[in-house]
Amino acid sequence: MIVAAPTREQTRARYPEAEGFVERNGVRIFWERYGEGEPTILLPPTWELVHSRCWKMQIPYLARHGRVVTFDPPGNGRSDRPLEEAAYERSEMAEYAVAVLDATEVERAIVVSWCDMGEWLILTAEHPERVSGLISIAPAIPVHEREVPEYPFDEELDTDEGWAKENRHYWLRDWAGYVEFFISKMFTEPHSTKQVEDAVGWGLETDAETLLVSFRGWDTKEIDPATTVELCAKVRCPVLVVHGTEDELVEPERARSLAAELGAAAVFLEGSGHGPHARDPVQVNLILRDFIASLA
Amino acid sequence: MAVELTTQTREQTRARYPDDSGYVERDDVRVHYEVYGSGEPTVLLLPTWCLFHSRHWKLQIPYLSRHSRVVTFDPRGNGKSDRPRDPKAYDEREYAADALAVMDATATEQAIVVGFSMGGQRGLILAAEHPERVAGAVFIGPSFPGGGEALAARMEFDFDLEYETYEGWAKHNRHYWLSEYADWVAFFVGEMFPESHSTKPIEDGIGWGLETDGEVLVSTYDAPELTPEDARTLTSRVRCPVLVIHGGQDAQSSVTRGAALADQTGGELVVLEGSGHAAHIRHPVKVSLLIREFLDSLA
Repeated sequence: MIVAAPTREQTRARYPEAEGFVERNGVRIFWERYGEGEPTILLPPTWELVHSRCWKMQIPYLARHGRVVTFDPPGNGRSDRPLEEAAYERSEMAEYAVAVLDATEVERAIVVSWCDMGEWLILTAEHPERVSGLISIAPAIPVHEREVPEYPFDEELDTDEGWAKENRHYWLRDWAGYVEFFISKMFTEPHSTKQVEDAVGWGLETDAETLLVSFRGWDTKEIDPATTVELCAKVRCPVLVVHGTEDELVEPERARSLAAELGAAAVFLEGSGHGPHARDPVQVNLILRDFIASLA
Repeated sequence: MAVELTTQTREQTRARYPDDSGYVERDDVRVHYEVYGSGEPTVLLLPTWCLFHSRHWKLQIPYLSRHSRVVTFDPRGNGKSDRPRDPKAYDEREYAADALAVMDATATEQAIVVGFSMGGQRGLILAAEHPERVAGAVFIGPSFPGGGEALAARMEFDFDLEYETYEGWAKHNRHYWLSEYADWVAFFVGEMFPESHSTKPIEDGIGWGLETDGEVLVSTYDAPELTPEDARTLTSRVRCPVLVIHGGQDAQSSVTRGAALADQTGGELVVLEGSGHAAHIRHPVKVSLLIREFLDSLA
């Protein structure tokens, strides 16, 4: 594959009705709003390896049925790339979401998250007045044990095969190599060349230096399981967990445990990898629609 | 890109299943048809070269059958139709006669005929010689022999000569089809989809190609075909509205062929930039909407 950051954005199936920035502690966060009316669906960011275009297959559909708000994470897209670790804290991510909801005059939203590492569970648990429902796609929230990395993130390794690419020194040496590897694990289904190409492009809109501000390996990035349990106990709104049975980045068992802890329904998509909303958008959009309708 | 060459053991699930299906039989050759939806008008999705069968319309059927009745059938030589060995059975006029037999069997008085590639010849015969049965004709990537130019890459090699090696279009060869059929299919289908992100259409297309064999394809090659003169005589007789859709990057039938067909029939030409030969497969939404607009214009 030829790796090159896209020179200009692809055309979109739908363009936002409004867009803007919120600023919090000197960090500018870029948001977009699509459609009108209620309910409002908030599509928040995931790890800053990608940005809000990861929701491109949901936005045009959901915006026909209500209002959709999305925003770029600090570190990618049109948001700032702060060099302070505090700007990437989970609780800070939740506060960006609240600031975006305020700026777009959204009282309450149904949150649809992808690969939640705790920030959207925090938003739901700590701001119940702003969240009327949560759909968690491929959550990476440990309820029991944490991830045990195959290789130490900070040490110089004598290999860069496979997951050895998830390493500070490799990132700085060959960021594109890591992005391509990671995305290849995200879309394991046949015929995923388009999704892979898109996501690699988004990954190349940021860089190793930016991600290294807050990343020292998944074991340190992940939320503490005891905290997960505490947060789950605070959640009162309806929750749906969606996970691919062939997810190679986060094992489906995590989704099962999280759903059990939340007393939530869980849907397992047979054969899907880590990005079912991108790879099987119709199936996922219909699941979203049914859940959204059930809250009306 | 590695594509595994195996015949599908069972058919993929479909977005929509036919409401009716059956066979017509002419001269001991059975041809399988399907009917989707109801009401007027009827869209007849014609077979193309029997390298493919009627599933190549799979991205049009569910959409069009929401707005009209859709009839399609497998070409003699593939799908659920018979595979005669006699080249005469693959005369272009036999396909047109099959289409009329299917229309009779499905009580279809008149239809808008849609043909892809060699399906264009069949559509042209129907529109020219059976005007009372054809309300309009759509041609997608037509391999129209009556005008335009052949692609240079396809002119370099002789179909009947034996070569030491068979690279590129040299594979379009009698001996190669009979000895290395699967490789020919993979090559040809690969050429059909020059667009990025075509792994799924390529996999489907190879699967359809492997449902028939080299001997059948050789018979279709040896069958009587329309000469350039025949084709021009036919276009001069077409009176119904015509739409030609041609991919700007078609590597199998030059866009000049589609342009000539549109010109000779007084039809509309839509060139899809960036599209290869099979625009309806690779750009289904765009093509289905063009067909829909054409249907609306006839209503």
